Order: sequence, then C-alpha cells, then structure tokens
Amino acid sequence: MPSQESLLSALALIIVGGPLVLVGVFFIAFLLGRKLGETVISRLIQGTVAVSLLAAIAAAVTMVVTRRAQHAVELGDWVITSSYHLKFEFVLDVLSISYVLLTLVLCATIAAFSTRYLHRERGYHRFFVLFAVFLLGMLTAALSDTVETLFAGWEMVGLSSVLLIAFFHERPAPPRNGLRVWIVYRVCDAALMFAAILMHEINGAGDFDHLVGTQAWPRHDPLLIGPHFTLLALLFIIAAAGKSALIPFSGWLPRAMEGPTPSSAIFYGALSVHLGVFLLLRVSPVLDSAPWLSVLVVTLGLGSAAFAYLAGRVQADIKSALAFASLTQVGIIIAEIGLGFRYLALIHLLGHACLRTLQFLRAPSLLHDHHQLENAIGARPREEGIMWEQRLPPAVQRWLFRFSLERGFLDALLDRFIARPFVGFFRRLDAMDGALSRLIEGEAVSPEKSAPPRQPSA
Amino acid sequence: MNFFLSPLWIQLTAALPVAAAAVLLFVRTPSIAARWSVTVLAVTLLSAALIFAAHTVVAAPVESGRFAVDDVASPMLPVVVMLHLLAMLGTAKSRVSSHFCARLLLSAGLAMFALLVQSGALLVGVLSVSVLLPWWDLKSRGQRTRGYVIYLGLFLVLLLAGWFNLSASPRSPWPVVSLTLAFLLRGGIVPLHGWMPSLFKNAAFGSALVFVLPLVEVLGVVRLLLPQAPGPMQEAAGIACLVTAVYGGGLAIVQNDSRRFFAHIGLSQTSMVLYAVLMRTPNGLTAALCLWISASLALAGLAFSLRALEARFGSLSLREHHGFYEQVPGLAICFLITGLASVGFPGTIGFVPMELLITSSVSKGLGITAALAFAAMFNAIAIMRAYFALFTGRSPTTSISLRTTTAERSGIIAISLIVFLGGWFSPAVVESRHRTANRLLGESNGSPAVSPQH
Repeated sequence: MPSQESLLSALALIIVGGPLVLVGVFFIAFLLGRKLGETVISRLIQGTVAVSLLAAIAAAVTMVVTRRAQHAVELGDWVITSSYHLKFEFVLDVLSISYVLLTLVLCATIAAFSTRYLHRERGYHRFFVLFAVFLLGMLTAALSDTVETLFAGWEMVGLSSVLLIAFFHERPAPPRNGLRVWIVYRVCDAALMFAAILMHEINGAGDFDHLVGTQAWPRHDPLLIGPHFTLLALLFIIAAAGKSALIPFSGWLPRAMEGPTPSSAIFYGALSVHLGVFLLLRVSPVLDSAPWLSVLVVTLGLGSAAFAYLAGRVQADIKSALAFASLTQVGIIIAEIGLGFRYLALIHLLGHACLRTLQFLRAPSLLHDHHQLENAIGARPREEGIMWEQRLPPAVQRWLFRFSLERGFLDALLDRFIARPFVGFFRRLDAMDGALSRLIEGEAVSPEKSAPPRQPSA
Repeated sequence: MNFFLSPLWIQLTAALPVAAAAVLLFVRTPSIAARWSVTVLAVTLLSAALIFAAHTVVAAPVESGRFAVDDVASPMLPVVVMLHLLAMLGTAKSRVSSHFCARLLLSAGLAMFALLVQSGALLVGVLSVSVLLPWWDLKSRGQRTRGYVIYLGLFLVLLLAGWFNLSASPRSPWPVVSLTLAFLLRGGIVPLHGWMPSLFKNAAFGSALVFVLPLVEVLGVVRLLLPQAPGPMQEAAGIACLVTAVYGGGLAIVQNDSRRFFAHIGLSQTSMVLYAVLMRTPNGLTAALCLWISASLALAGLAFSLRALEARFGSLSLREHHGFYEQVPGLAICFLITGLASVGFPGTIGFVPMELLITSSVSKGLGITAALAFAAMFNAIAIMRAYFALFTGRSPTTSISLRTTTAERSGIIAISLIVFLGGWFSPAVVESRHRTANRLLGESNGSPAVSPQH
C-alpha cells in the first residue's frame, strides 16, 4: 500500500501529467505532419480531462478522509547555481484543489460543448491545441507552490488566450485585439517576474511557504511587515490587475470577446479572468503587510466593479455585456480579498465562474430563444431592472452614457499617453537611424524618406 | 569516444566545410551545389555533435596543436553548424548559387575555427577574415558596400590595434578600450549598429544570418577581454549593451519590413548576451553562455521561417496582414515557438537562461533588472506583432501549392525539437555552463585563457 504522501504526490502529478501528455501528443503530431481528426481530438481531450478530474477528486477525497490540510509535491530543484535556484513544486490545499476542480469541471463542460460547436470549423485542430496548452497552464498555476511554477502556468494561459482571441484570423480585428491583450499581459507578466525576483531576494527562494509560512492556506506564520513586502504586494496587485482586467487594464476585456464562444466562456467568464484573483488569494498574507494595501485592493476592486457595471449597461452585444458583468463580480471578489474575507472570496469565485460559463454557453442560442418568445407572446418582453440613473440630472445622464459607451475612456487614455508617445518616439529613432545609414552609404536622402514618421495606427 | 577528440578528427571536422567550399566554386549547377552543401553540413553537424558528446564525457580541455576543444567551444560547435544548415535548408532553390553555397560553407568553417583556435592571434585572424564574406556577398549582388566597409573596416582597425597593443603593452588600458569598441561594433551595439540593419536589407538573408548569429563577438569578449582586469570601459560597454537591448526591442516593434524587424530583434538579443558577459559574475556569465546557445538557435529558427516565407512571397511587409497561416501552418508554428523561445517563454530553451540573466542582474541594481525586463517585453511584443502580421489575415489565392518542402520540413522538425527538448535539458546545460563560467572567472583573476604572447 502506498503511503498517503506518495499517493497524494502521484495524484498531483497525474493531474498535471494528463494535459502535459496531451500537449506532447499534439507536438508529436505536428512533427510528423499528421493532422488529427475531430473524433481523435475529441476523445483525447475528453480522456485527458477525465483522467485529471478523477485524480483531482481522488486527491480531494484523500485529503478530507486523512484530514490533511496541505501536501507539498516537490519536483526537485530544476536549476541550481551558486546563488540561484529554480524550483518547481506543487501544493495540494483548499485553494489549489478548489481551483483545480473548478478548472477541470469547466474544461470538461467546454470540451464537450466545443466538439459540437466547432464541428467542421477550419480551426478545430488549432482550437484544441490551444485548449490543451490552456488546460496545462491553468493546472500548473493552480497547483503551484513556487512563484516560478506559477509564472510558467501564467504564461501558458496568457499565450493560449491571446491566440484564441485571434482565432478567426482572416478578419483584421481579432489579431489586432489579440495583440493588444498580449501587450497588457506582457506588462503584468513583467510585474510578476519582478515579484519573483524580489521573493528570491527576500527569502533566497521563490517558494510561497518561505514567504507566508508552512501553515495551510489561508493561515500564515510570520508577520510580513517591511518595505520589501509592500513592494512585493504592489507587484502582485499589478500582475493580478492585468490578468483580471481590473482598472486601468479593463480595456482589453471586451476586445477579448473576438474569440469563439467556448474560449470566451472559459477564459473571460470563468477561469483566466479569475487567475489574478487566485494569485491574490495565494499571496493574501502579503496584502496584510500594510493597511493601505488592503485599502488599495478594496478601492481597485470596487472601482473596477463600478466601472464594469456602467460599461456593461450600454453594451449592444451579449458577449461584451457578459464580459463586463464578469468584471463586476471579479471586482467585488477582489474587494472581498482586500477586506480579508478569503473563504468568501473563494466561494464567490467558484460560484461566479460556474454561473458565467453557463451564461456564455447559452449566449449564441439566447437570441434565437428571444425571437421564439416574442413570436409566442406576440410582443416584446417587458424590460426589467432598476433604472436608477433616470433619477439623475439629464447632463449627468448624458455624461455617464458617454463615459460608459467609451468604456471609461481607458483605451483612449492608454493610446494617448502611452502607446502613441512610445510608438512615435521609436519611429523617430528609426527615421534618424535610416537617415544616418543612408548618409554613410552615400545615398541621397529623398524628401519622402526624410518625412516625419507616420502616426501609429491602432 | 576519445577518437572523436583526436587532433585529426577535430581538424578534419573544421576543415571539411572549407574544403567543400573550395570544390563548390567549380560546380556550375546550383542544385548540385545546394545538395552537396546540405550533405557536407549534415556530416559536419554529426561530427561536431560527436565531438561535443565526447568532450562532455571527458570533461577536460582537449588540445590538438593550435586547436582545442574546451568547455566554451564544445557546445557551440554543433550550434554554429546547425545555424548554417538551417540557413541552407531555408534557402529557396531559385535563389541558390554555387558561390552562395561556397560562402556558407566557408562561414561554417571559419566559425568553427574561431571556436577552436587556442591562440589570440589566430582568433583575431579568423575574425578578420570572416568579415570578408558578407562584403563578397554584397559585391556579388551589386549592392553598395560603403557603409559596410566603413563600419567593419573600423572593426578591423580597432581589433588589430587592440590586439597588437595588448601584446606590446599589456598594462596599458588602451588595448582593452580598443578591443571593447571592436566587439561592441561587431555586435551592433548602439551607436555602432548601423551596419547590421543595412546588411540584412541588402545582403542575402542567409549570408547576413550566418555572419551575425554565431555571435562571435561574445567569443571574442570571453577569450580576449574577460582575462583582462575590469575597468571603466567595460562598465560603459555594459551600459551601452543595456541601452541597445531596449533600443533594439523598441525599434523591432515599429518596423514595417521583416528583415529590419529581424535585425533589431537580433541586435537586442546580442546585446543582452554581451551585457551578461560584461557583468563578470558567475551567474551572469552562466546566463551569457546559456543565452549564447539559446538565442543563436532560437533566432536561427525565426530567421528560417522568415526566409522560407520570403522564398514564396518575396519581401514581407509588416504593415498589413498577409494570412500565410492557411498555406504554411508549419512555418507559423516554427516562427511562434522559436520567437517565444528567444524571449524566454517557459518550457523552451530560452526560459532558464533569461530567468537567470534577469535574476543575476539584481546585484547590479533594480534599474538594470528593469531595463532587461523591458527589453524582453519589447521583444515579445515585436514577435507577436510580426506573427500576427505575417500569419493572420485573408489568405492569398495562389495557383500553385506553397506547402513546405521536405528540406524545410526537416528544418522545422529539427529546430522545434531543439527548442523544446533544450528546455527540458536546461538543468544539465546550466550546470555545465556554470562550471565553465567559474573557470573563466577564476582564470580572469589568474592566468589569461588566451595568451597574448601567441
């Protein structure tokens, strides 16, 4: 009989190993130049999710039966040099098991839905390859016990979501929006990378238990007070804000709706958008290092919720409306974390992810149902809801409408104050570079070539 | 295994492409020249891989007259041959000529000799001769060579002046200044970078590629500068490298031409490797030696995809979306994974080196770390922008099949395997590079690795 420790370790490895093998199968198929058929892909995906899900349920049951609050799975030091080591480690605890179960249940649902929804779609194979990368990334991030492991999963989730936003790539808008999301992700990834470096500087390791102690989540041993921890918390907040589309990064969320409905559901309704929340839950003791950090988190959460509520009210398409509805709830969950209600935030996250997935998956057929309903009753259904904004003065109403319609001017502000100056600056450098090269080559500098650089397009 | 480390085997391996190049000059049929070049490079790659494997087992410098397989050279031998093989495989049949093949083989031979030579004088000689190959290419294409001659002529002057002064007056700071400037120029460090984008624009992509990607300036710094005492010049050079890393990344984002995009990505990556060497810390140098391998291979894969696209569609603008994915999905995947590997995406060959570089830079200050992180971020944005520009959009209608050829397919498989398997073997690579870094730094405090007396 294997010991409880080795059983739990094996189960954790099976959870991540399934998607890893799946990605490997797709890679080998690519190397061999074989394109897998729809049936094969469908069975591979469903089999993988089933194996990982069974392993996750078994791990959860084992932990409940044996009353273990957490179990670390050390994969050993990946790289060791004189003053640096890169370690991959998983942990099974309430937070990770909950998120893993959520991921696998929703991925199983989405996989079953997608095999039919994308039947005979040109990008069927591509969708499921990216789906497999996403699943691997999510499970790696959810089970991570070191910041490097989290970072690896975080990056895989980011890449797969960007490529899925650009899924319908024959149209110009999806790739353009995908690039925009990629840029935001790179900014938040840089913040996470800095946080990882700072963790190494503080503790000499990237292990979360070195940072918050060995007690099971959400308890923690040490009192984390000091400027280092404050900076670390700020970096984690920036990383989470980018990934979860909190203000000022919220502009990318409606753009991400360009992807196919199943990917919108799983990324921006359910799992990916909650990854920032998960990060803040995992490092929540660090947020207690200074009172103003909690205030910042609450303000960020409530501000994002208020913004998303307003923007969501004026959306004309159902997926964007759902995206902003998601963001409203994510903002509230973030505020709950800031207020110290960690279990409440976790339960809220789980419930919200399930509800939103259902709504996203219903979205394509909802309009059809509405038309049927209208035909049946012979009139348009009565609009419901509280229109509190009608009580405001007309000028304020107009301003609010414009503010909401322009999505808080967030994209415009980022364009005006960051993107355009950046692109303009480097275009000028490029023009100077070209002029210098032509001068050295002895070419005549034509007026056309020395003209000022073009203004960047979106 | 010792047979593969025998002087005869080592010298034959390096001489084989040079001899083949001499023969190819007399071959009139381009297709035959191309076939022979691929065969010779494949054989050389196999031999270089065997030397690397044998050296890994022996784990001690193996001398063979004027040549030595040490721990710096041994992993780079198969890497540089692989770069040349990829350059050959990615060249369209319609663009191959006997002279192009000869230049490519000569370049492979020279790069191997540069890695193997023991004496500083010979290294300087090989580096000097190698600058003639792109010039030959530019001349044969009827392109302007003035800029190239000015920049690389200055490189030769600085290199030779530095080397002779180092031999004559080892205590003077000027030889180090001169050599540092020479290697900065060869690496395209701002403001001495003007030749690199021009070379990529005007020369054959393959010729420019094999001249830039082996990153011989890193070898020069490791062999000639690292043994010298650190001074303010090397500090200043480090700052210039950092500026170039950010500058190259930023400029790569705004490029509208695929070759200039690649040149600036290359500039940024080269400068990161050079900065890591100039840090002169064990972890920094370990990162540099790892990055040297990963960046060379990843950029070779990226260039391979671009060349294969150019062979089909001509020069590529990044201003509009071309939609090549539907026709050449293999190249799209190759472009993406090699591009991501070059910026240190997890699971690829570049992840650990990039992590190590950024982490080890903390000792120099958080501003330095931030600059490196920004450079990596800019590169990643530039690569994704180029990917979207090239592979998304409405697919062009063509009357002939544009599917990848067998040669291209083998190139894609080889580079994809290396980029992914390299990620899994990172611990072993880092461990071996860390030992090398410690040895080099130990020697720099004691006796020099390459004696100036030779």
